Amino acid sequence: MESVANNKARLQTDEVISHFFRQEYGRLVSRLTGKFGTAYLELIEDAVQESLVKAMQVWPFSEIPENPSAWIYRVAVNKLLDLLRRNRNTNLTDSAPEHIDQQEMDLALDHELKDDQLRMMFACCHPVLPPETQIMLTLKLLCGFSNEEIARALLKSESAVAKALTRGKKRMKEQVEKLEVPDEKELKERLRMIQKILYLLFTEGYKTSRGDQLINKDICLDAIRLGHLLQENPLCQTPRTFALLALMYFQASRLDTRVDESGMLLTLEDQDRSRWNQAFIDTANELLNQAFSGDISEYHIQAAIAGYHAVAADFATTNWDAILNLYDLQMAINPSPVAALNRIVAYSKVHDAQSGLLELTKLEQDERLLNYHLFYAIKSELLIETGEVAFGKVMLKKAVELAENEVEKCFLEKRLSNLA
Amino acid sequence: MKEYLYLFRGGDARRAQQSPEEMQEHMQVWGKWMGDLSQQGRLVGGLPLGAEGKVVEKKGDVISDGPFAEGNEVVGGYLIVKANDLNEATNISKQCPIFEHDGTVEVREIQQMEM
Repeated sequence: MESVANNKARLQTDEVISHFFRQEYGRLVSRLTGKFGTAYLELIEDAVQESLVKAMQVWPFSEIPENPSAWIYRVAVNKLLDLLRRNRNTNLTDSAPEHIDQQEMDLALDHELKDDQLRMMFACCHPVLPPETQIMLTLKLLCGFSNEEIARALLKSESAVAKALTRGKKRMKEQVEKLEVPDEKELKERLRMIQKILYLLFTEGYKTSRGDQLINKDICLDAIRLGHLLQENPLCQTPRTFALLALMYFQASRLDTRVDESGMLLTLEDQDRSRWNQAFIDTANELLNQAFSGDISEYHIQAAIAGYHAVAADFATTNWDAILNLYDLQMAINPSPVAALNRIVAYSKVHDAQSGLLELTKLEQDERLLNYHLFYAIKSELLIETGEVAFGKVMLKKAVELAENEVEKCFLEKRLSNLA
Repeated sequence: MKEYLYLFRGGDARRAQQSPEEMQEHMQVWGKWMGDLSQQGRLVGGLPLGAEGKVVEKKGDVISDGPFAEGNEVVGGYLIVKANDLNEATNISKQCPIFEHDGTVEVREIQQMEM
């Protein structure tokens, strides 16, 4: 009885770290799947889910246990063994351990849990799965998001997510029986796959869609957390990993400043730089410094560009020369429509808007760009700058038409109406 | 002041479907509600109850697993709080987070010995 009246215990409920349950889900599912094998994945997920429900029900009445992870762990293991016993007749359980060494579980060291999650990442990001499925599996199994939360973040229906996950898990199980780090000859390629997915994951979260802003930010931060798992592992701490992590930190430093209070998009030019997360920028710079010990990748270039923006006091005094050089480099090793267009912006800053327009004409052969709203948006800005406002408005209208993202569309419409 | 018993029923189905993030939030709402009651000096005690149980009848001639009543009848936990009368106790219970999951609170006065 006393425990409930104990104020000290009361406060502790509020002190459970943010996202603890969600990340614990990822840690536990990874650990238990590592121990039992992927065949038991769904049972493991059920057991972990149930153990979190139990924590939610019981902890408010007494106190947060001294070691919350161990508590949930123990409950999950017991539930899992229970589920296995009940499923005794299926051949699924033939190879299941009868019990688990409880002590071994309790003493799971921090780095062991990280290794478990790393192995799970390799499984989720298996190349045989479509990239979108890899993202969803990562969000589900490593980040602990529900189908509904994933659906909201990716702007899909819940049933579509459920279907994709069911199919994805089935295929994953076919490819991966036991969680492991791929051996040397496969490691490089598999690591690249994870890096690619982590960056796609980050980008999904970074998009200012009218979806759930809070979940989106959490996704970005989780992508960074998972990136650290790579960075801290001797086999995975490659220059690319450092560069990718730096890039994510640079971009994440701007997370709070990309929309104003009314939800209107703020470009790099208009963001309040005093609210950029300086700690993130410092971390990014440190990571980037450690990244230049080998091959340069597209992540290195993007991170370096982001770095120049991060240290600039404002848009006008940004080191556009350096950025232009970096875009030239990027176009040489990893050209893309977005890179080409962003290069035009840098080009027009280094030279002038008229030159920028001229440079833009070189891109007009690329069909992909002719349907891309950003092309018209940039063209319209350059035209307006050179005084050709009428033509600029026409281009802006086209940009509005083609914009798919609601927030961006809104931004462009507002720009158009400001010009009227 | 007198003492009142809150019997919490239901909400299991909704609780089980929550995402880990939602569960943590919900847990914190419970913690805050009970914490506030405690700080007001109203909280006497309370405990959560396990889902399984037995119902014993006829001195044990009839023992059933349960109570597997309808989901919304299973008591999941209880609290004992101090209040001046049934109305006050009932009003206090309105803030209970169980309503987020369509659960219910039964409010009963605990009979005192002193008259």
